[in-house]
Amino acid sequence: MHELSLAQSLLDQLVTLAREHQAEHVTRISVTIGPFSGIVRDSFEFGFNILKDAQPLTKDAVLVVETPDPVYTCLDCNKVSVIPFVQPGEATEMNLGGGYPKKCPWCCQNRLSPKGGTELILNQVEME
Amino acid sequence: MCDTCGCQLHEHHQHDTKVVEVNKSLLEANQKQAHSNRHHIEKMGALAINMISSPGSGKTTLLERTIEALKDTVKIGVIEGDIETERDADRIRAKGIPAVQLTTGGACHLDAPMVHGGLHVLEHFAKGEGFDLIFIENVGNLVCPSTFDLGEHRRVILLSVPEGSDKPAKYPSTFRGADLVLITKMDLLPHFDFSVEEAEIETHTLKPDVPIIELSSTTGDGFEQWIDYLKEMLKK
Ligand SMILES: Nc1nc2c(ncn2[C@@H]2O[C@H](COP(=O)(O)OP(=O)(O)OP(=O)(O)O)[C@@H](O)[C@H]2O)c(=O)[nH]1
Ligand SMILES: [Mg+2]
Ligand SMILES: [Zn+2]
Repeated sequence: MHELSLAQSLLDQLVTLAREHQAEHVTRISVTIGPFSGIVRDSFEFGFNILKDAQPLTKDAVLVVETPDPVYTCLDCNKVSVIPFVQPGEATEMNLGGGYPKKCPWCCQNRLSPKGGTELILNQVEME
Repeated sequence: MCDTCGCQLHEHHQHDTKVVEVNKSLLEANQKQAHSNRHHIEKMGALAINMISSPGSGKTTLLERTIEALKDTVKIGVIEGDIETERDADRIRAKGIPAVQLTTGGACHLDAPMVHGGLHVLEHFAKGEGFDLIFIENVGNLVCPSTFDLGEHRRVILLSVPEGSDKPAKYPSTFRGADLVLITKMDLLPHFDFSVEEAEIETHTLKPDVPIIELSSTTGDGFEQWIDYLKEMLKK
């Protein structure tokens, strides 16, 4: 819901960075959105791509978003596993079937507790 | 032609590209402010609780009852977050407790800078006496507030019986951040198909060790446990 304001704060940060480095254009930026950050990737990208046009400095910036797969700890066997993330809108068949296979691959129980993954990080900025 | 800049030089020439490693949270500004809010609150002599729930889960009513139970022994201050109106702050003031209303004017959550402003106003009300306990009632919303640390010491999530026991599973990021979950409006249990067991299992899947208290502001059932939780927290 607040993806737009987060995209705006990213753009503000880019402007500051570009000034610091006396660059005229930001060309590429990479951001990591954690699977449990509560931030919807599509909305964030959509917001960014609208807002970036407001300034010559950022209007050609290409946003690259990395979404790491979520990591879970099994509450039954304590093992840690990575279970590929289903993006909203993707793999709807799986979701519709109610068969979202969130089970511990070690012991097959479904008491999986999310581990970390709440981050929203600006990794790298390319400018010229 | 150079693909990078579209210029007419035949040979690809070197653009002066800089790569800057930032590796910082986009929420850093909020996190810094939250950190300093926490200090500020401690300097006021208090601990703060951030209360998050859907609209109408009973946050303000819970505060009214809590104030009645504690106001003779604990100095309480309240920061109310709403999109519009002073109504919730007025309800708290009617109990004789200083309350600051933050109206977000549309924003779906409180953030640390807004709360910072609220703390200064609250301090003004305290006339140098300080506080023991500050409640921050967030904007009614089970999604967005979870992203923003306000500088609280405990985060309490309310889930009311009419909302349904599937909410922890549907709003995982909010419940995962809870230090305490309150199941509110327990007096309504006979009228809804709410399963306390489902709510508890789903919550503990997200956060295995989080305490859960069932209560009703209408009948007062379960309040003892909640008041004990607050007293225990204030002792430390
Ligand atoms: N039956 C019953 N009703 C309750 C209880 N607690 C609150 N209510 C009612 O629920 C409605 C909403 O309560 P509020 O305390 O205003 O809820 P809120 O979470 O502060 O609402 P917002 O600030 O608008 O998000 C009111 O009509 C309350 O009287 C309870 O324990 N039992
Ligand atoms: Mg309220
Ligand atoms: Zn397992």
